[in-house]
Amino acid sequence: MWITIYYIFCYLVFAYTMVLMASYLYLVFMSHRAQGHISVNIPDDETIKYFLQGSPLTPAVSIIAPAFNEEVTILDNVNSLMNIDYPNYEIIIVNDASTDRTMELLINEYKLVEVPYDIAMKVQSKPIKRVLKSTEEKYSKLVVVDKEHGGKKADGSNAGINVCSNKYFVCTDVDCIIEPMALYRMMWLVVNSHRPMIGVSATMLMSNGCIVEDGRVVEAAVPNTMIPMFQQLEYLRSFLISKLGWSSINALPNISGGFGLFDTDVAVKSGGYDPTSMAEDVDMLLRMVTYMKNTGQEFRLAQVPKVCCWTEGPGNVKTLCRQRIRWARGLFEIISNHRKLFFNPHYGPIGAFTLPYIFVFEFIAPILELVGFLFMIWLIITGGVNWDSALILFGMIYLFSVFMSFFVIFFDYSAKAVKWENTKMSYLKLLFVTLLEPFIYHPIITYCSNKGYWQFISNQTSVWKPIQRQGVKKKKQ
Amino acid sequence: MNTVSIVKYYLNLILAYSTYYVQYAIGMFADYPIEIKVAATVSVLCIILIIIMSVSLLYLSHQKSKKRKLQSGIEEKYGKGMDYMFTSEVQKQMSRQEIADVFGINWNDLGKAILKNKREKEAFVDIFYLRFITERSDFANRENITSVLYLFGIPEFLEKEISMRSMRKKVRYMSMIRTFKLPISPWVINKLLSSKFLRVQRLAMYSNIMLSSDSDLDYFETDFFDKHCCIKDEIELAYSLQRRRKAGRKLPNLARWANLQKNERSQCMFVRLMRRFEELEYCDQLTELYKTQLRKKKLIEEISRTWGYLHYTEGENLLIDALLTQPDDTKVAIMHALTRFATGKGIDALLEGYTNTTNPHVRFEALRCMYNYGDAGKALFYELEKTASDDDRRFFDFFNNPITLEKIRLDKEQAYHPSVETIYNG
Repeated sequence: MWITIYYIFCYLVFAYTMVLMASYLYLVFMSHRAQGHISVNIPDDETIKYFLQGSPLTPAVSIIAPAFNEEVTILDNVNSLMNIDYPNYEIIIVNDASTDRTMELLINEYKLVEVPYDIAMKVQSKPIKRVLKSTEEKYSKLVVVDKEHGGKKADGSNAGINVCSNKYFVCTDVDCIIEPMALYRMMWLVVNSHRPMIGVSATMLMSNGCIVEDGRVVEAAVPNTMIPMFQQLEYLRSFLISKLGWSSINALPNISGGFGLFDTDVAVKSGGYDPTSMAEDVDMLLRMVTYMKNTGQEFRLAQVPKVCCWTEGPGNVKTLCRQRIRWARGLFEIISNHRKLFFNPHYGPIGAFTLPYIFVFEFIAPILELVGFLFMIWLIITGGVNWDSALILFGMIYLFSVFMSFFVIFFDYSAKAVKWENTKMSYLKLLFVTLLEPFIYHPIITYCSNKGYWQFISNQTSVWKPIQRQGVKKKKQ
Repeated sequence: MNTVSIVKYYLNLILAYSTYYVQYAIGMFADYPIEIKVAATVSVLCIILIIIMSVSLLYLSHQKSKKRKLQSGIEEKYGKGMDYMFTSEVQKQMSRQEIADVFGINWNDLGKAILKNKREKEAFVDIFYLRFITERSDFANRENITSVLYLFGIPEFLEKEISMRSMRKKVRYMSMIRTFKLPISPWVINKLLSSKFLRVQRLAMYSNIMLSSDSDLDYFETDFFDKHCCIKDEIELAYSLQRRRKAGRKLPNLARWANLQKNERSQCMFVRLMRRFEELEYCDQLTELYKTQLRKKKLIEEISRTWGYLHYTEGENLLIDALLTQPDDTKVAIMHALTRFATGKGIDALLEGYTNTTNPHVRFEALRCMYNYGDAGKALFYELEKTASDDDRRFFDFFNNPITLEKIRLDKEQAYHPSVETIYNG
């Protein structure tokens, strides 16, 4: 009987692997198709700017950036937001009762004074203490909201949504470095959509290793240390293959909290961000989709294929693990909270394809990998391994993973997604980590995911700790 | 042996070796179970794909460096001439010879093709276009710029490229023609109109409105906007109609188009365009739409704004009647329209707008309208301020603060621009 179970298990795992690879191939195909579409429909940045900047019909955008104890970087970051090239936008900085000099620095630098406010609390957030605006014309875009401490980014973002006065808002972190053309790239998708665009996801990359000047990335580079290098490759794969592929069938499952654009009205009607959620960005997007579907409205979700935002990622294994454990818990929470959407065609391609894919291949995969690893150890101990077959199977998985990473490098080059300062060196670094990733990075991620699931099941409370920033390189004067 | 037979010989050799190794591999895996055969096949396919992508990357990189080299050559040769054309404030029309001097072209070469081949023309037009949209000063003489394009044979090149198969080039070069405002041959338009791709058709239609003297929206089917309307359509139409107006051509009756639409989104678009192009003479054609489509709140909002902006005072009674039955956003638009009329009839409606609602946004906007209504409105505003309850006093704070007051006043000028209309949050 054990032999039968053994064979069934082996064949099931093999079938699972083949289907997983087929789904990856499908995403590769879809992103490749999307690239063809992009090359025709999305012109270069200068043309987009030429078309949109002169028109009063170009939609206005509010940028919401919650801040908590950011005294070291707040001025650079606000300046970076001020440098964005777009004709019509406002910046809303939400101070979540910082205990350092964040507020003081803002007030002094931008000559802020209190203005009357009377804000309808459209979405739930902690009370607002005061609203400040600059007395100087050049800072008229800036609105600073000082609120009671909510402890979560979601709470700050909700306060920003309550204050925002535009049809679209972008939610970001104050420590993100935004590409000057980012809003044009996002809004081009909005103005070109026949169906109401409710969310646009921007491609984000790691700023570790980049050189920054006046709040702008002036030299984009792949990081020099291993962990950020692995993440750079992972981010590229996630945004340029996975998300772009899903967006081409209107089934984008996530718009990153780091930099994403939303329709204010739909976000408000679906309740805004949930401060109790571990994955508030996915959670809000799924509620927005649910709202649109339940009210019978058409909608569109899209992915920008060019890099719009740079963020500093974990620089070492410890911080990476903390982040990934949190993500794993968030995934578990999303699956349990939004289970009615899964395998439910009523919610369109997201319910019918994306969420089942996430459940079967992103949620279950780490568990299966752990089981497979333990099984392999048991087989080695009992001498039950057919090494020839094992090597061939391993070769297949390894080569496929290399192929996927290779494809994303190819895609990046042909679609000009990122303007690397030293293209050859950047690609060589990425190729190098491509070869090592299955041996070093992937096992760490699998371990963290399983640990996150275990923490969620065993109801362990987790304290959210921000990533320790090492800072980005600044150009020497 | 000639080249063909050498190539044939090597091809046969490669084929023979490949067949041998494939058969060898099949034979080697003959006794293995199916999953191992599948795994081996997938591995080989992955290797082949990786090799193909590597070769493509090298090829693309080579092409890119070649293109860069060509562009830097063009930039070096004609860059100064372009600088002069885009930044010079010389207003007079330059002759062919003068332009040739600016670009350093020998007069003897004027009759010949200056750019030798397609690649050079592509590189030239790419650089020229980029500099045109980013560096051109407002004072640069557009006709001289057009003459430069003719000198280098660009218009014929663009038309020829558009007639080729590449979709990307069709779209890119058609956009260039529009940006440079070059005349376009009817056969090009017809060719693009018969394209199966909506994007190309659309480009042709807008180009036609903008560049030809043909009548307005004839190429559009009446349900075109109902099916495909997006914000970009509105921007395109606005640009195209603006161009027509500048050229002294007749504008289409946009109210008729608003009436022809069924979709609220496209109806709103045409009403907004009416406002933009100040088509007061057709405002009465919106009355029927207003009366019959009262449930479409966005449409009612847009019609109210348009009537207000264009001072179509005949619609004032309709607006006053509809005020209290409409949703909050529409109420605000109606109140703004009444403020624009400032005939005195709307004062009571504004007061009702303030008192008959609990929505703070509507109440604030009602006060704002009163404040901007003129003397009668201001008097009412101050009276309300005197009698305001403690809770309502917060509204009046906005009018006593210099920063918010400035915005309230500013908005009076731009009251109909949707993005700056809501300043309620300070």
